Amino acid sequence: MDVIVETSGIRKHFGPVRAVDGVDMAVRTGEIYGLLGPNGSGKTTLIRLLVGLLRPSGGSARVLGRAVPDKAILAQVGYMPQANALYEDLTVRENIAFFGEMCGGVSRHRVDELIALVDLSDRADSLVRTLSGGMRQRTSLACALVHKPRLLLLDEPTVGVDPQLRVAFWDYFRQLARDGATLIVSSHVMDEAERCDRLGFMRQGRLLAEGTASDLREKAGADTLEEAFIRFAERGLEGGQP
Amino acid sequence: MSARRIFAIARRVMRQILRDHRTVGLLLVVPTVLLTLGAILFRAEPAPMSLGIANRDQPVAVPMAARPIAIGEQIAAQLAADGMFRVRDVSEGEADALLRDGSVQGVLVFAPDFSAQFVRNRKVVLDLRLEGSNPGRSAAIAARVTQAAIRALAGMAAGGSQGAEPPVTLNATYLYAGPQFDTLDFVAPVFLGFLALFFVFLLTCVSFLRERAQATMERLLATPASRAEIVLGYMGGLGLFALLQVTVILCFTIWVLKIHYLGSLALLFLVIALLAVVAVSLGILASAFARNEFQVVQFIPLVIFPQVLLGGTIWAVEEMPSYLQPFAYVVPLTYANRALRDVMLKGWRLGDIWPNLLILAAFAVVLTLLGVRTMRRDVA
Repeated sequence: MDVIVETSGIRKHFGPVRAVDGVDMAVRTGEIYGLLGPNGSGKTTLIRLLVGLLRPSGGSARVLGRAVPDKAILAQVGYMPQANALYEDLTVRENIAFFGEMCGGVSRHRVDELIALVDLSDRADSLVRTLSGGMRQRTSLACALVHKPRLLLLDEPTVGVDPQLRVAFWDYFRQLARDGATLIVSSHVMDEAERCDRLGFMRQGRLLAEGTASDLREKAGADTLEEAFIRFAERGLEGGQP
Repeated sequence: MSARRIFAIARRVMRQILRDHRTVGLLLVVPTVLLTLGAILFRAEPAPMSLGIANRDQPVAVPMAARPIAIGEQIAAQLAADGMFRVRDVSEGEADALLRDGSVQGVLVFAPDFSAQFVRNRKVVLDLRLEGSNPGRSAAIAARVTQAAIRALAGMAAGGSQGAEPPVTLNATYLYAGPQFDTLDFVAPVFLGFLALFFVFLLTCVSFLRERAQATMERLLATPASRAEIVLGYMGGLGLFALLQVTVILCFTIWVLKIHYLGSLALLFLVIALLAVVAVSLGILASAFARNEFQVVQFIPLVIFPQVLLGGTIWAVEEMPSYLQPFAYVVPLTYANRALRDVMLKGWRLGDIWPNLLILAAFAVVLTLLGVRTMRRDVA
C-alpha cells in the first residue's frame, strides 16, 4: 500500500508552546489511522497542519504527494473541525450544498444521499440552530464528505455523540475505508481506538508510539490500550525520547 | 437583595472592562477626538469664498457731482473689504467655466450701463451668477452681495442726492440646481452614501466575525475556495443588499420627502455600489481587529464618524479650515460624497465624475488587499 500522508519532524510552536514537536508519521492509503491522546496533546494542531490551515514552524509533511500547505490538495481532502463549524442560520441541506459548491459543486442527488446517510432526512430543512448536538455533528460529517474526498481528516468526530450514533459513525468510517478513502481520526476515547487499523499515541506534541492496537499492547506488555498508553508515556519521560 | 452580591457583580463588570485595554482607551480617547473635531468644524471661521467680478460698468458723469458715478467699482470695493470673500476680476465669458471647476463660487456681473441705469432709475439690479449646488452657500453669497451693494449706495446717498434708501434687487441665476433646492436636497445624496457605508460596514464586520468565531471560516479555508473568492463573494452578497436598501431609501426621499435631483439614478447606483465595495473591504479589515461584537460596535466612532465629519457630509470640504482639509482627502467617503452631489445636484455624467470613482476604486483595491492579508491562514 502506498503512503498518502507522511510527515518528517513536523513542528508547530505558538510562542513558547510546542503544540506539535517533531512528529514522524506515515499513513497508508485506505486505512483508518487513529490519533490518540489527551486534550492538549497536539492532535488538533497536527490535523490542521495536514489540512494546510497552519504553516509548520519546522519539518515538513507531504499529503497526497504534495508538500503542505498547498491549496491544490484540498479538492480531495475532507476536513471535519472539532467545533461544529456550520452556518447556524442555514438548513442542514443548505449547509451541505454550500460546502459542496465550495468543492466544485455537487448534484442535488448527492446532497440527498448524504442526508440519508447521516440519518437526517426528516430534519433536512431544519435550521442548524434548532438541532441537537448529535445532529449537528452528523451534519458536520456530511459537509466533510460531500465531495467524496480521498483523504478524510476528522478531528474528534464522535465527541458528545451518543453511543448508538458512535457505533454508526464507526461503521460508516469502515465503509468509507473499504471504498478506498483514507481516514485520520483523532480521539481521546481509548475504546474507539480498537476500531482503527493503526494508531498513533500522542502526548505533549510528540508521537509516543505507532502501530496496530494489538502491536501496541504487546510492545507495552499491557492488557488494555489505556495501560499501554500510560506505559509509553512513562517510557517517553524516562528516556527523554519517545 | 444582597449588597454583597451586587457589589461582586459591579466589581466583576469593571474588572472585565479594565482587562480590555482597547475599550478603556476608546472610552476616553475617541470622544475627546470627536469633540475636538466637532468643535473645530462648528466654531471655525469658514475659509473665504472666491467671488469673481466681471466689471464692465462705464462711469457716468453727473452735473452736480464732483466725480463721475461708478457704482460697479463702489460695490466691488465693498466686497473686497468683506473678509468673507476673496475677490478676483474675471470676464463674463469665462464665468461658467470658473464656476464649474470650482475656482469661484459666484460671479457678479456689472453690465456697461450699470451706473447709467442707476442714475436714470434710482435703483440697482445685481446680476449674480451662482454655482448653485450648495443652497446654504448660495444664500450666504446672495445676502452678502446685496448688503455690500446697499452699503455702497448708502455711501453715495450721503454724498449728495436723495435721502431715501436706494432699492437693490438681486437677480440670481444658477449654473446647477437653483433656488428650489434646499438644504435637504443638499444633504440627501450624501445621506444615501452614509447609510450604505454604515450598514454594509457593520454587516460585513459582524458576518466576518461570526464566520471566524463559529470556525466556518476555518472550514471554508480548508476547501479549495481562495481568500479572494470569499472576499468577492461577500462583496457581491452584501453589495446587493446595499443597493436594495438604497433603492428603498431613494424611492422614499424622492416620492415622500420630494427631494429635487438632476442626474441619472443609474449613475447614482454605480457610485453607491462602489462605496458598498469599499465598505465591505473596510469591514473585513476591521473585523480582523475585533474579538467580539462589542468591539465591532466600537469601530463606529472610530471608522465611521470621522469620515462623516471630515468627508464633506455636513460641512463642505472647501469651507473647512485649511489645516483640516488634507484629512478630508484620506477618507473614502469624501470622494463618494463628491460624486453623489455631482450627480444629484449638478446632473453630471460618468464623463465628469470618473476621477472620484477611480479614487474610490483605488481605495477598494487597497483595502481589499489589506483585508485579504488579514485573513491569515495562520490562525492560532
